[in-house]
Amino acid sequence: MIRFLLRRLAQSLLLLWLVSVIGFAVLHLAPGGPLAEFTLIPGMTTAQLKLIAHQMGLDRPLPVQYWEWFRRMLVGNWGRSYRDSQPVLDVIASHLGPTLELMVSSTIIAILLGTWVGVLGAIRRYSVFDYLATVGAMIALSIPTFWFGLVVIYIFSVELAWLPAGNLYTIGNGSFVDYAVHLISPSIVLALVTIAIWSRYLRASMLEVVNQDYIRTARAKGMPERTILFRHTIRNALLPMITIAGLQLPTLLSGALVTETVFTWPGMGRLFLDSIGYRDYPVVMGILMFSAVLVLLGNLIADLLYAAADPRIRLD
Amino acid sequence: MTDDARADFGCSPTMIHGDMSRRRLLGATAAVGASGLLLPVAARAASKPPTRPTGHMTIGFSQEPTVFNPLMPHIEVDQGVHWNLFSPLWLANEKGELVPQLAAEVPTIANGGISKDGLSWRVKLRPGVKWHDGQPFSASDVKFSFDLLNNPKFRAWSRGGYELMRDIKVESPTEITWTMAKPYAPMISILCWTFMVPEHILGKAADPNTSPFNQAPVGTGAFMWKQRVPGDHITLEANPHYFGTGPYLQEIVFKYIPDLTVMFTQFQTGAIDYIGLQGITADHYAQAKKLKDRTVVVGPAPFVESIMMNLSKPQFKDQVVREALYYGMDNKTIVEQIYYGLPKLTSSYLPTQSWAYNPHVAPHVYDPAKAKSILDAAGWKPGSGGIREKNGVRLSFQNSTTAGNHVREQAQQLLQQNWQDIGVEMKIKNMPPAVIWGDYFNMSHYDTVMVGEDFMTGPDPDVSQFFLSAAIPAKGGAGQNTMEYTNPVVDKLLQEGASTFDHTTRQKDYWKAAELIRHDLPLLAIFQYATIEGTKKNLMGYAPSVYVSTNTWNVNTWYWAT
Amino acid sequence: MAVAADITPRESPKRRARNRALARFVRHRLALFGLGAIIVLVLLCAVGPYLWPYNDLRIDISHRFAVPFMSAHILGADALGRDLFARLMIAGRVSLTVGFAAMAISTVIGTLVGTVAGYFGGAVGSMLMRFVDAVLCFPSIFLLLALAAFVQPNLFTITLVIAATAWMEVARVVEAQIRSLRERDFALAARVLGASDAHIMFRELLPNAIAPIVVASTLNVARAILLEAYVSFLGYGIQPPTPSWGNMLNNAQEYLATAPWLALLPGLFIILAVTGFNFVGDGLRDALDPRLDIT
Repeated sequence: MIRFLLRRLAQSLLLLWLVSVIGFAVLHLAPGGPLAEFTLIPGMTTAQLKLIAHQMGLDRPLPVQYWEWFRRMLVGNWGRSYRDSQPVLDVIASHLGPTLELMVSSTIIAILLGTWVGVLGAIRRYSVFDYLATVGAMIALSIPTFWFGLVVIYIFSVELAWLPAGNLYTIGNGSFVDYAVHLISPSIVLALVTIAIWSRYLRASMLEVVNQDYIRTARAKGMPERTILFRHTIRNALLPMITIAGLQLPTLLSGALVTETVFTWPGMGRLFLDSIGYRDYPVVMGILMFSAVLVLLGNLIADLLYAAADPRIRLD
Repeated sequence: MTDDARADFGCSPTMIHGDMSRRRLLGATAAVGASGLLLPVAARAASKPPTRPTGHMTIGFSQEPTVFNPLMPHIEVDQGVHWNLFSPLWLANEKGELVPQLAAEVPTIANGGISKDGLSWRVKLRPGVKWHDGQPFSASDVKFSFDLLNNPKFRAWSRGGYELMRDIKVESPTEITWTMAKPYAPMISILCWTFMVPEHILGKAADPNTSPFNQAPVGTGAFMWKQRVPGDHITLEANPHYFGTGPYLQEIVFKYIPDLTVMFTQFQTGAIDYIGLQGITADHYAQAKKLKDRTVVVGPAPFVESIMMNLSKPQFKDQVVREALYYGMDNKTIVEQIYYGLPKLTSSYLPTQSWAYNPHVAPHVYDPAKAKSILDAAGWKPGSGGIREKNGVRLSFQNSTTAGNHVREQAQQLLQQNWQDIGVEMKIKNMPPAVIWGDYFNMSHYDTVMVGEDFMTGPDPDVSQFFLSAAIPAKGGAGQNTMEYTNPVVDKLLQEGASTFDHTTRQKDYWKAAELIRHDLPLLAIFQYATIEGTKKNLMGYAPSVYVSTNTWNVNTWYWAT
Repeated sequence: MAVAADITPRESPKRRARNRALARFVRHRLALFGLGAIIVLVLLCAVGPYLWPYNDLRIDISHRFAVPFMSAHILGADALGRDLFARLMIAGRVSLTVGFAAMAISTVIGTLVGTVAGYFGGAVGSMLMRFVDAVLCFPSIFLLLALAAFVQPNLFTITLVIAATAWMEVARVVEAQIRSLRERDFALAARVLGASDAHIMFRELLPNAIAPIVVASTLNVARAILLEAYVSFLGYGIQPPTPSWGNMLNNAQEYLATAPWLALLPGLFIILAVTGFNFVGDGLRDALDPRLDIT
């Protein structure tokens, strides 16, 4: 186990380094750059642009720029944002809270509802409920989140005026209730797609398990259906879901991007988008490394849990 | 200043990409000079501003202000905040009149502030002005600001005009003088949005580029810095020691709402009190007008929408081709249908409000038959696929703009069909803002771009940076003549216009230049933008202006009617 | 038990098994409905434009926002007065191609990588899976931006780019399943009987992992159709005036309140295609599943 972890750690560090090299190269070689918007400032001259590029260190050879970035990153200096010249770690930290808040609430909704829909869909296969759940899931997957968001805002905020049309809180009102009310629409909209994904996978997994020998055996032994369902079927059906859950962790960063935009939520997704659009290299690199760590961590945890939950699996 | 840029990376078509966007883009603006610029007289007369700052107001912006040192590279939305934190020496109001701010009076040749040859400047400052931290403002702060702009180690937002300043001298705490290397009339306008920064803070900074001041600015404006929540909003509070009128509001909040459709819903629900940059899209105008308790204003904007051509490409070398393309464009349909008749048709590059706008420039005419006949006459004959060609050059080109701007894309597609009808092929290739407005535009790699541009130099009608042959960046020039337009007569006129302070001479030069450029057609002008913005009905003081890039220039006079 | 029957090289003609699968599939009415929907959509998009009097590109501004069923434009017209039905059919060519091709590519690659990695484990498996992790490390917008920046955008490259961002999830899901399955009795038995690795992987293990693969593919069809519009929206994809269901949906956003059919119709087509595929997938899964027997 320790050997496994050590090996995995070493591999992960190597991967992180590779990701940083590839990410850095791709980002800098892709067309466009952070100076594009300065081009449009009245009276801006090419000489002035060159000077700014020099001051920002953008005129040095790419490997040199990479080495500078890498060296500083190792000691915790991730550079400063080109947009507001704040340290990258501060920038990320300031956007992390809203994203976490949204992710946690929507994940709870999604797992609870998704599990319920998935399990019920499987045990009442081809019932009216199952058809409705299936078609509902397909609709959730086929319509862009942006649309759901807009429709929710139109109905519940513009027409009915029950809920705020987005934003983290009412400026000047920091009460818990205010925060909670603002969280309702975005977390439901964000949860929709996850509910669809989760319930589809779980339903499929349940159907597999239901037909396994041990379930038949349990039933043959006269075990009550409820016990079979809860003790055996659901438990075993949830096993493959560990992998799916591990894959959801990185969406912490990019998954909520559209939801954050439509609900004016100052989270990581928006930050990433804005930073890529601006070619704010230090921030994009920071988020990239941050998300890479999350991906590797999420997948490692999933692998460990999977092995712990299923004795047949060996870690290697 | 340009505008365009709408970018976006989100799934939403109306999302504006924060940083890059400039108004250049948004086709959302509309008719200049159209009705209802100001509130009904009755409403205005009925209420008076409060005696002390009261209430707060939330401003919606579709881009995020991130730069708070006004002398560093910034875009319009940043300037929207700067107007409230800082003060220039003077500013141009919505009527174009210069109003002294930190200066006691605006220098002119008549009052002796500027010497007859335009070289020596003397500016008297308003006494008793204080920085937000209580320190007195003085002439040495002005000198410090100018010096900083010329400091090679400082990332200055512009050096245009400032680099001509010599011998900047503090004569007394309330008087400053300098000389210019050559007479330069637009200087007075450039100073309209040159905000003064405090020497006692930035002068001590080891590196002004990364000073903490840049995120905790101290100015002389009507509002003081309170808080910034990155990615969300900025809060300013009333400056009790402000030297000018107001402020009447206790607190103002600049809220960043990246998507225009979403921003409009927040205007509908009342989450924002004023929908600013980039306002309401033309598609939502009809809906907006019907809202209760809201005032929606179609105001003038300085941006002119046009097709800019890269004259160094073989397709556009022939003036006849450019003229035929212009005849082939159904601009009226673009304005009346796609933009709901809100913007104003134009065939020139200056806003009609400018004193240098030439009303006699030949208007645009949509005449596809004429387009075909002049192309035929010039030897551009239909070749394969019905596309005209001559000497191996096919009349086929790309047109680009910022990807994701749906309204403009509609206009693009209409033009595509218009030109197809006269045997010209246009292919659309839109790009993200960081790509198109980088080298692709700046170094003239494009065939044509569709863009809304403010060609003036601040409030001054000098258009040298766009049309001077020495302003071609691809040829090492300083400026934005990416069309690579050259005309020696225009060069002479523009240079003369910029170096004299005589209004009549300048106007004559600029009128002539407008006619020549209308004939040469390096760009095919379509319309002058209008901003569609709105406020809650009882918010008083809003005054859209073509002389600023963001209409938050006078928030110090805004108040809630009671 | 069917499982046991699977391992022994079967004497009984394979044809019978195939017929049984077909019979099961046909009995699955929903699967047939799904298949029907997809065939109708494909035919409509392939042949429809030749039979329909309106062109998808011709702008006729006087019919701006024509309401469905009120004029010769049966399904109405868009913001430039182009016939919506004509555009929907042409758009379907783009969306169906991207949706199904990207799904197929990502499913095949993901399944292959996942199966091989899960079955062999050890150095091979861990190399493959760490590669999957590495690609996963890049958020998909970043991947899209990177790939799209270096390839000339067209239908083919967009499909590849989208597939490149979608296969990793399939790989991880399949790998976990295979890793668990390979330790089961029937797999061990097959090994003992001397079956080849390829036989065990693809004939014994994979059929048991088909359920999550079907789910993943369904998710990927929907994802690809929407991503296409997204990539184009960013300026890296299909340019105007070419329609796709996704970009028609995006462009309709400003008209949510004034012309909702501009969004409803393309949305409906996407839902139809995705739902149809989902039912076909469910049917296929049931048909191929050695254990399930519907009677």
